[in-house]
Amino acid sequence: MSRKFFSGPFILILPSILAIGFVIIIPLIFSFYTSFTSYKLTRPDSLFNFVGLRNYERLIDNTKFWYAFGRTILFLAVVLNLELLFGLGIALLINKITWGQRTLRTIMMFPMMFSPILVGFQWKYIFNDNIGLLNNFLYLFGYESAIPWLIDKYLAMGSIMVAEIWANTSIFAILLLAGLLGIPRDPIEAARVDGCNSWQVFKNITLPFLMPFIFIALTIRSLDVGRAYDIVHIMTGGGPAMRTELIWTMIARIGYKDANMGFANAMSYVSIILSIAFTYYFFTKLVAARRDLGQQ
Amino acid sequence: MKFLKNFLVVFSLLTLPFSAFAVDENFPNDKVAIWGDFSGITLDVKLIGGAPYDPLYEVMIPIWEAKTGGKVSILSKKSHFELDKEIKQDIAAGNISYCVVSNHTSFATQYGDIYRDLNGIVPKDFLAEFVPLVLDHSTVDGRLVQLPQHSDVSNLWYIKSIYEDEDNKKRFKAEYGYDLAPPETLEQWKEQAIFWSDPPNFYGTQYVGKEEAITGRFYELVIAEGGALFDEGMRPVFNDEAGQRALQWFVDLYNAQAVPAGVLNYLWDETGLGFASGTVALNLDWGGWGAYFNSADSKIGGDVGLVRFPMGSGGKRGGWSGSHTYSILNGCPEENLEAAASLIWILTNHEAQMHEARGGKLPTMTRVWKDIASEMDAEGNAFMSDLFSTFSASMAEDAFTPPLIPEWIPFSNIIFPELQAAIVGDKSVKEALDAAAKETDYLMQDAGYY
Repeated sequence: MSRKFFSGPFILILPSILAIGFVIIIPLIFSFYTSFTSYKLTRPDSLFNFVGLRNYERLIDNTKFWYAFGRTILFLAVVLNLELLFGLGIALLINKITWGQRTLRTIMMFPMMFSPILVGFQWKYIFNDNIGLLNNFLYLFGYESAIPWLIDKYLAMGSIMVAEIWANTSIFAILLLAGLLGIPRDPIEAARVDGCNSWQVFKNITLPFLMPFIFIALTIRSLDVGRAYDIVHIMTGGGPAMRTELIWTMIARIGYKDANMGFANAMSYVSIILSIAFTYYFFTKLVAARRDLGQQ
Repeated sequence: MKFLKNFLVVFSLLTLPFSAFAVDENFPNDKVAIWGDFSGITLDVKLIGGAPYDPLYEVMIPIWEAKTGGKVSILSKKSHFELDKEIKQDIAAGNISYCVVSNHTSFATQYGDIYRDLNGIVPKDFLAEFVPLVLDHSTVDGRLVQLPQHSDVSNLWYIKSIYEDEDNKKRFKAEYGYDLAPPETLEQWKEQAIFWSDPPNFYGTQYVGKEEAITGRFYELVIAEGGALFDEGMRPVFNDEAGQRALQWFVDLYNAQAVPAGVLNYLWDETGLGFASGTVALNLDWGGWGAYFNSADSKIGGDVGLVRFPMGSGGKRGGWSGSHTYSILNGCPEENLEAAASLIWILTNHEAQMHEARGGKLPTMTRVWKDIASEMDAEGNAFMSDLFSTFSASMAEDAFTPPLIPEWIPFSNIIFPELQAAIVGDKSVKEALDAAAKETDYLMQDAGYY
């Protein structure tokens, strides 16, 4: 047994195991432990103040957290669907182009090159009610009222969604374009010979081939969007009146500003349920899509 | 066109008002000097950064390095809110071995005992130069944990010409029944703000609308209305009638569109730059903007008036106050302490404070208050003379700190979303304050106050 344990292959992967242990597993165990303590960043001795399930019990009664949780699900659902829609459209259009496709692909990726902080500032000023580009553009057409884009109950969340979609739709587009470039031409040509129109070709051949790529993109982006923080933090800080508060802006405030890291970590572990649920759902769909294509 | 004008104003303003300055490197007006040979010593520091703060570092730190042979390594320079988060993470990680850090009287109580007592490190005769009350506010648990650079308290700035216009006077008298003059009470302030408003082109007033900024503003209005945040046992009482009147003032202005629609996203830069752009009639702000407001770089240069914070129904004025300070950490090696004290000295000494005061920042040294007033009088600068006499009166008669307790920022994070909820109409004033009081009650219980 011990000879097997210290066999060549095990020794070869040992550095990876140690690296993962230090970088992922130990911090996870540590943060999970702190979620059962009253750990405050400014009082390191509180790390050993074990409070059992108190943080989780308080969380259950915390309506603000559950509102933020629900808002995050809504944000995820809207952003993912619109990014998929726009990304698919862009990928299909670029796939049609025979000249300048590389240049367009590069241009398409520009938004991804901006840091989320910069994107947040950029859109914050576009949506600023006083000096913002959008309101002043509307004034040119005779609109006489300053629209509070980042304040209004519905517009504030919509404005953040616009920024998030602008910044990240190209991720979908690039992944789906890779999928489109990999689709074999034979079935499409055969379908056209059989008299299928463009919609039928897309629906019955292109889309099924793309589905694994779509679910991979959805999985990656759901994890990303579920952790949305920078853009929201810059544009509204989760406000006003928590109208744009998402899970991670709330957790960051409680963890870092209030220094209440034990409670914040309890929130984080409950929030992970969301990421696990989305990831599980999309992987199930991915497996089904691959099965439909006759892949493993 | 309006956009272009506002846009250019905002971006030009970000750099213009706070430029480098020249100093006499012999510091002839400083009675106490803390020099030394600090060759081979590098001080690690973390500082509050930004346009209002950087010029002082850019001038003073090179002088200090040239004269002492020491080096300053700036590990971090960011807004105080960001610095606050970083310090908390540093404490958690045990990474508090740097020497000098920017601090604030409202924030210092949160950080436990990470700072050295400056008594014994900074010479007594230098400490004696500071306003005693400001040093009191810099003291936590009997230890002087910070040395104040400048103080802040707010008064009401206004555009003079609109108050001098005869037509405005007639219209106002006809509508409100009393003569138009800069407001003396909160009620007059509200009425006049509504009178001036012509959204989206011009607004009567504005307020900082989020985070600790709006908490502080609410706090001073509660005091002006005769109330308090906490009773003697530190139980929340801000949801009483005085608190409700204070919050209603914000709500009424917002509902009347007398403040910009996006005001709940505004912090200090937005309100300062907004007033300088000439689109706001009345602006509650600190003195640090004063010289700039009245300069040729501002659209209202030469047309700026100043009055004391208007009185509330409780017969008091607002006066939420604090000081920007510097601290030395416990982790600073013993052999670097003298150098650290020297660095703090050069950033807070007479010369540094005089420079800051010329821009309108409020000194923390008794002698600088007199010297800056004399200098402005000698120059015939009536605007700055008026600024210092007004702010001097506020500091002496109105100023009060927030409760100097570690729970101030967590309390602020509880109450400010509720204040916003009332302002935007998601909750009634009573509902919002009751909700905040309930949560604050838990906070104070957990902290062991009762």
